[in-house]
Amino acid sequence: MSALATISIESPSGAAWEFLILFAVVIVGPPLVQRARVPGIIGLLVGGFAIGPHGFNLIGAGDTTVPELGELGLLYLMFVAGVELDLNLVRVHRNSVVGFAAITFAVPMGLGAAVGFGLGWGIPAALLLGALLASHTLLLYPTARGAGLSADRGVATAVGATVLTDTAALVVLAAVSGSQLAGGSTLSIAAQIVIGLAVLLAFTLFLLPRLARLAFRYLGTDRIVRYLLAVASFLAAATLADSFGIEGIVGAFFAGLALNRLVPNEGPLMDRIDFFGAAVFIPVFLVSVGMLLDPAVMFGDRTLLLAGLFILASIGGKAIAAGIARLAFGYNGPQTELMLGLTIPQAAAALAATIVGFDIGLFDQSVVNAILVLILASIVVGTILVDRSVKQVARPLTSDRLGRRVLVTLEEPAQAPLAFALARRIAAPDNGVVHGLLASPPGEAPSRRELLAELGAAAFAADLDAEPTLLVHESLPDGVVNAAAAERASLVLVGQHPAAASAFGSAGETVAAVAPAPVAILIGDADRVSRVHLSRDGDSAASELAAELAARLGADGGATVAELSAGELCVMPAASWELLANPPQPAPGAAVLIVPEA
Amino acid sequence: MRGRLLAALAAALTLIAGGCGSISGSAGEFTPARPGVLTVATSTVPTAAFWEGTARRPTGGFEYELARDLADRFGLGAVRVRIVPFHRIVAGQLGGADLGLSLITPTAERERSLDFSTPYLDSPPTVLVRTGTEVPDLASAQELRWGVIRSTTFVARIHEQIAPETATTTFDSQRAVLKALEGSRVDATLFDLPLAVSLAHHSGGRLEAVAQLPEPEQIAVALPRGGDNVEAVDSAIRAFIADGRIHDLLARWVGSQAANAERDLPLLRTSRR
Repeated sequence: MSALATISIESPSGAAWEFLILFAVVIVGPPLVQRARVPGIIGLLVGGFAIGPHGFNLIGAGDTTVPELGELGLLYLMFVAGVELDLNLVRVHRNSVVGFAAITFAVPMGLGAAVGFGLGWGIPAALLLGALLASHTLLLYPTARGAGLSADRGVATAVGATVLTDTAALVVLAAVSGSQLAGGSTLSIAAQIVIGLAVLLAFTLFLLPRLARLAFRYLGTDRIVRYLLAVASFLAAATLADSFGIEGIVGAFFAGLALNRLVPNEGPLMDRIDFFGAAVFIPVFLVSVGMLLDPAVMFGDRTLLLAGLFILASIGGKAIAAGIARLAFGYNGPQTELMLGLTIPQAAAALAATIVGFDIGLFDQSVVNAILVLILASIVVGTILVDRSVKQVARPLTSDRLGRRVLVTLEEPAQAPLAFALARRIAAPDNGVVHGLLASPPGEAPSRRELLAELGAAAFAADLDAEPTLLVHESLPDGVVNAAAAERASLVLVGQHPAAASAFGSAGETVAAVAPAPVAILIGDADRVSRVHLSRDGDSAASELAAELAARLGADGGATVAELSAGELCVMPAASWELLANPPQPAPGAAVLIVPEA
Repeated sequence: MRGRLLAALAAALTLIAGGCGSISGSAGEFTPARPGVLTVATSTVPTAAFWEGTARRPTGGFEYELARDLADRFGLGAVRVRIVPFHRIVAGQLGGADLGLSLITPTAERERSLDFSTPYLDSPPTVLVRTGTEVPDLASAQELRWGVIRSTTFVARIHEQIAPETATTTFDSQRAVLKALEGSRVDATLFDLPLAVSLAHHSGGRLEAVAQLPEPEQIAVALPRGGDNVEAVDSAIRAFIADGRIHDLLARWVGSQAANAERDLPLLRTSRR
């Protein structure tokens, strides 16, 4: 009894307790609200409120751990926003993207600024309000993509426009925060911001991609190092921005754009970035924002009046913009409604700008709470519109893009440098991913597994975010076909080594006959090619697929296989199976890419 | 036509917003108790590095300059200082002042009678002794006679973390505790680090800061509970932190001593950590 009396149990405190509370909210919050068909982000915000100083005060107002981790989460969120954007859509739908971006930014920006000026706010606060109302987050894009509408012109335009609206919003944020933080005359402040943005753009869009490519090539064979290089990239850009008095999130977003091409959306590195972002950093940021929620402020007259005005300016502005776009670019009703639903939700960029406005003393807690009400309203309205319109928009007829997922299947690692180099060039216009497979009969699997490192090194040397794996199968053609189906490959590139004594034999032929995707068969032992031709001696006139591949590979002339010299590649359409069974053998150092007609 | 529609909508929103006069001010609005003047309550003037000069004619100091910057931001022409004992300030009695600036740490108990801004300083409690007194560990700290200003958070810190062998003596003012320390009626006291370092610096070698306690305390602006000025002051402090003004004031009035001290002063391992 006396021993028991000496036991003392203290109330929990310290870092372990705070992280436990934090992760409990991250685990429980989203699924709880999702049961009520409310987006998980709301669960994190409400959870943050519950554990915060205005809720159960489990994490007090004086705590610095969660806000600091939340700050890192905010940078991460903006980096992911930049790296995930599909820049290819901007290129493909250039005119409508630029037009719609200009309208959907300018109208809410103008209305938001008008509200700010009407309220008697200063110029920086009014402009920042306009910019954050003009931004949007593609929170509901997965719904449109899941409905098979990612290639729809309206969806593609809305997605592409996001690159420009968010960039414009962040440039306004940079200018506003810079004007508040930098001392000196108006001219010197403007000069500092302009120079800062110029340096930041030069660093992120010119230097960073090149540095990252070199680092990925020479240091990035380790998957952990590749991930850390991505994290270091946005931290470097954020630090650079910060040193010029520009908010770090602007740098992080630009770093995301800079690495956009190097980190394909469906590649393993993006998977890792998404995993850590979704598991830790971004939820922690949202929870830290939720800790600012104060019911006493949120349901006060001032907050509700502000929220009403913000909703009117933001959703009203986006609706007007979608209406103008419909008339200007000829979208139909459901498409317009879907575009509106996609561009209404406010989350990442608006939250980021709001928190920055709060941190630099431009916004008080009422404004922050009013923005949180707007975010909630925008997500609810956007969800209703998108859920309704995806059922009405006609599915686009276009098939999957050729370079979206290129599957490279090799029997000999010696072919890897050329095969991966070609695959990268084919995938690049679609911002696609390349996956490498090393084929192996079951008995040879242990010894061939050791060759994977060689294959991986070749992939990294070709600037590919690929982690090759072993394909073990009794019948290699069957294995390739199954893998192509499992990977949802958009193109299968099969390596057939001339000296392979027909181990593949007619495997290429078999694969081409039954593969669920177009096939290209690479023959030759060249390490690299400096010139590409479209064949003049194929079985048929250049097929559409061969011409497309030749164009992606930069073909600049025509040649026959016999004319090829070392360092040259010929893309050759093949209509007959005889050609596949007895393919032409190029000269040493040259290569042929045979493209069977589908 | 579309352009006119948009312009009309923008004008309508501007008018609606303009009609909501009660919600103007993106960063809160400050209404002083006395028009055109920011009235500040503090406990001791002068307080080395924080309030220089006299209450009637303050000449500088970190908290005085902070009050001046607040007044500038709120468009007020003058700062008036009101001396109020510390225990009354933390009990919510600001003597009619708009706010209190007196190295005040927000606590749950104080939040029952005061509102607080975002903290503008993080400061570890620091042991101030007569020069030559050594406090290498908790045992030697417990043997000392401790004195502390009444109603400060340091009363509980000494009781819970140091647990001295003799009862702690409380004093009403900073002046009284310093006098007791110099007169050997007590052996040690606690102050916030920047103040402890400044007091030692200005003591002519009689006093020295010898150790810091774990768990820094936060220092914030105190405001009357439930007042309308909290948002404005809170936004102002965040702005001053963001634009480096707090850092500049600290560098100007406390100098590098505090930063060096925080790095160099040994940590006194106490019973709680």
